[in-house]
Amino acid sequence: MDSYILQKEKLNNFLDSLKEYEIWAPVQKDATTLFEVIRDFQNISLDLNHQPIISKSAVFPQTEPLFTFDNDAAIKETSPKEEKDTIVFGIRPCDARSFKLLDPVFEGDFPDPYYLTRRNKTALIGIACNEPFPNCFCTSIDGNPFSKEGLDLLFTSLNDSFYIEVITDKGKTIIDKASSHLTQAKAEDTKEKEQLAKASEGKIKRQINLDGIKEKLAAIFEHAIWDKFSSKCIGCGICTYSCPTCYCFDMQDESSARKGRRVRTWDSCMFAEYTLHASGHNPRPTRTERLRNRIYHKFKFNIDNFGVPSCVGCGRCIALCPVNVDLIEILSTIKEAE
Amino acid sequence: MKNPYVPEIAKIIDVRDEALGVRPIKTFKVSFQNGHDFNHRPGQCAIIGLLGTGESMISIASSPTKNGYLEFSVMKLGKVTSALHACETGDTISIRGPYGNGFPIDDWKGKNIVTIGGGIGQAPLRPILQYILDNREDYGKLDIIYGARTTNDLCFKEELFELEKRDDVNVHLSIDMKEEGWTRFVGFVPTNLLEVKPPPDNTIAITCGPVVMIKFVIKNLLALGFSDQQIFTTMENRMKCGIGKCGRCNVGHLYVCKDGPVFSYATLKDLPEF
Repeated sequence: MDSYILQKEKLNNFLDSLKEYEIWAPVQKDATTLFEVIRDFQNISLDLNHQPIISKSAVFPQTEPLFTFDNDAAIKETSPKEEKDTIVFGIRPCDARSFKLLDPVFEGDFPDPYYLTRRNKTALIGIACNEPFPNCFCTSIDGNPFSKEGLDLLFTSLNDSFYIEVITDKGKTIIDKASSHLTQAKAEDTKEKEQLAKASEGKIKRQINLDGIKEKLAAIFEHAIWDKFSSKCIGCGICTYSCPTCYCFDMQDESSARKGRRVRTWDSCMFAEYTLHASGHNPRPTRTERLRNRIYHKFKFNIDNFGVPSCVGCGRCIALCPVNVDLIEILSTIKEAE
Repeated sequence: MKNPYVPEIAKIIDVRDEALGVRPIKTFKVSFQNGHDFNHRPGQCAIIGLLGTGESMISIASSPTKNGYLEFSVMKLGKVTSALHACETGDTISIRGPYGNGFPIDDWKGKNIVTIGGGIGQAPLRPILQYILDNREDYGKLDIIYGARTTNDLCFKEELFELEKRDDVNVHLSIDMKEEGWTRFVGFVPTNLLEVKPPPDNTIAITCGPVVMIKFVIKNLLALGFSDQQIFTTMENRMKCGIGKCGRCNVGHLYVCKDGPVFSYATLKDLPEF
């Protein structure tokens, strides 16, 4: 499809012409850059030196009410609320790919109306990673810092402008609404973008060959490496909360004497309570079993069930771990384990 | 799109004490208020709960051949089951489901059936017995091996004592330790299984109970000559969604809620964590 140029100084005009959408974008809060609904475009942080986290919350909120009820046990408001058409702006290519991994979980035999309604109403506008982060390894896992998979539009930051590639019809619709701020991209713009893409791929330092990882894991369920890697884990769960492919959730009731609601919240397989039976029995009683399950889920069970690992190589679990549990180191050790 | 998280409301029409003591068990008989047809298979489960308290996955203890109601046998252990135990006839509960695969009971037509239960593990086996007794000519010999710690912990006592009087079913009850007046077997369920010694020919064995009991029962069934494909069990894990999404009930790549709770030993023995 077509490519366009948007002068950086006109970004706000571009977004202004998309007022009918709810726009999510990265916003810097102290050292962390989080995605949130944008009221003032000045707050958007497209700083390519900061890795934004948790873009999935635009489609799969950290907490969401499922329904409300009152004290005579009557259930109300059972359908997902009407969502506005939504744009997630400034999402990284790895995060866009992650939705492709989340979709089959929420589809399936029991389609999840909350996720799917929002997902269908959401367009993803990506920004290519000119500068990969130190723990990025997307190229080891079928990704790329300029990957278009799952995106509707891809922005690339050139010197004074953004190079915009239209990927889907949903993306085309957005472009049509903002076309007055755009010019057609020229051959030299395309060339510049391609050079940036090539250079970026070359800047990715960390690599892991995942061929045969599923079979290897099948053979080392009982192995000393699980104790070794979990011994420093403090079970904080940041690896799962910051993971764009993690989706586990809890359901809890909030109620007063008169009425209440059932809410869904993110949960983490790194917490003991996650699998704890009411009897006191816990099938994954220590951090050894829990860390092992996380690795198995991502690099074996998800391949068994959906054909692909549940990881996009974003490296956030490595970057954010307070005790330096390093996924790539774990995977490398697994590959070499006897 | 049907919303799988929204439950139906059902009314409790009877509550029966199954076991007393520190971990009491009650059986709740419920019927839907709006004529909702649950249409479950033996071995399937339902998420039952109380609005404002929460939900738990509980196996359905009655057969679909019993029209107009469902039964759930619930041990009082956590928040939801404690709240359920406070419920009385006439109260309402929420129900979602039925969930899971259930037993392949139609594939078992013409075969002998032996169920081996321990404690509250008899609850998911009970619909098999009811289903077979309601379709008696479709199945061969029926053996019920069931035990609990004490006579106080035996569930479905009255109906099992009644079944003992019938000649088309063999009931083999046990308790773990001697009690005055108990004339049946004393000892653990896997030991009683070796006493009963069901022949494996054309027979399906289904077991449910504490994990350690299941492991010894399977060991003894294999010793009696049963093949992996002739042995079935039904499992439980902590669950929230019941539909294979929330993540926590997995055993290996399978979810107990969606891919189970019924597994043949042929499937189970290859899974990690079992």
